[in-house]
Amino acid sequence: MGPPLFLQTIEDTGFSTWLRESESPFAFYFILLFHTFGLALLVGANAVVDLRLLGVARAIPLAPLKRLFGIMWIGFAMNAVTGILLVIAYPTKALTNLDFYIKLALIGFAVWVMQKLNSQVFEDSSLSETDMMARGATLAKYSLFLWFGAITAGRLLAYTYKYLTFPS
Amino acid sequence: MNFPDLHLLLNHFPIIGTIVGLGLFLISLVGKNEDLRRASLIIFAAMALLAIPVFFSGTGAQGAIKKLPGVSEALIERHQGAAMLALLFMEITGALSLTGLWKLHGTSRQARWNWNMSAVLFFSIVTVGLMARVGNTGGDIRHPEIASGQEATTEGSMISKMVHAIEPSPTKFAELMTASKWWWAFMMDLHFVGLVLLIGTVGILDLRVLGFAKQIPIAALHRLVPWALAGFGVNLVTGVLAFTGMDLYYTYDAAFWLKMLAIMLLGLNVAAFYLTGAFESVERLGPGDDAPPLAKFIAASSLILWFTVITLGRYIQSFSDTISVNK
Repeated sequence: MGPPLFLQTIEDTGFSTWLRESESPFAFYFILLFHTFGLALLVGANAVVDLRLLGVARAIPLAPLKRLFGIMWIGFAMNAVTGILLVIAYPTKALTNLDFYIKLALIGFAVWVMQKLNSQVFEDSSLSETDMMARGATLAKYSLFLWFGAITAGRLLAYTYKYLTFPS
Repeated sequence: MNFPDLHLLLNHFPIIGTIVGLGLFLISLVGKNEDLRRASLIIFAAMALLAIPVFFSGTGAQGAIKKLPGVSEALIERHQGAAMLALLFMEITGALSLTGLWKLHGTSRQARWNWNMSAVLFFSIVTVGLMARVGNTGGDIRHPEIASGQEATTEGSMISKMVHAIEPSPTKFAELMTASKWWWAFMMDLHFVGLVLLIGTVGILDLRVLGFAKQIPIAALHRLVPWALAGFGVNLVTGVLAFTGMDLYYTYDAAFWLKMLAIMLLGLNVAAFYLTGAFESVERLGPGDDAPPLAKFIAASSLILWFTVITLGRYIQSFSDTISVNK
């Protein structure tokens, strides 16, 4: 029994074929590039908040770091869009690989932790810096761990797939 | 592009530069001159950065000359092994120098002697010696008139025999890097983790200078710089290891060389930030303060260049085989 047929249907669409096979530098690699930009914005900004909550560069006041959550959401939106486009380009490759679902789960948890950091640590303006760090330290550790896992799972997609395209 | 020209144009800088750096460093010790010590550390760091494209340009130079009559592959291999060992010590010297510069900045002007300076002294002396050997073994490839006349790969002196024994074999090292796809995947993974750390920390500093989240004092954000350097260090190590594993793949790739150019420009960008007074102009800016135009210009070019580096890195794969000279 091969992969489900709807994967072939997606792959045979003109858009999927163009994304995958176009020689244009503005096709597949362009989307991959913006997926990397999104990663840099989302995880870069979140990692700085995590490190600060864990005691790195304590001179940085915590409250203004709330602004970084806006950057994180921009990065997340970029990667949701580019991620869907990458799956459209290689649906069989992604959706038949267990690692892809592990990656999605890790991202899901990481974004959930990021949202909790925002609501529990940064939304409550009555908290002192010490309180914020006390509340945020555990979440920050989970956050770093989950993002590291998500990046690793994402990188491994290039090395673990069973089918590149639908088997003929 | 002509790789032998590029290699010859660049390769004298790290060799002579480390000698000059060591000279100034020694004088600064004798004369207890803080500014001179700072200058020598800056030179070491700059040479460590420049040594990377010098090393990378060797493969292309080899490709251009290896079929010429009288050129010995064994001599090239020996030169490459010597270069790998020298590069390792050069990068350690560079990292120690940056640590030293960070400490000089943080402490009072009359910084005392510490382990860090002893380490710079030791590693820079070893680097100067190894660089001399790289120059000699490189010269032997195309200048038989200065070679000592013996058979190609036999080592003359006792010292060169000993050094040669610890130099890696380039071919075996490359096989080691590419033998397992999991090792390769791990290096690439770390390259992305380094990217995130670097862009996150440098990005927030640059954005603050440009006027984002002005409530944060700049000196506080500047404490993140060691983390940015750690990210850069991770990517330097994983990047150089990847290159040694698949040197032909990267050498004939236009995106790879443009990426190296962008990284060198970032070296100039950092120098501009710290040496033109831009840093001093923003260091004491507190909540709400606006940075002067020069600092903003440098911060903006840093952001643009880092995203250019990511862009070019991403296009390496699709630009493979875009340089087709003298393979």
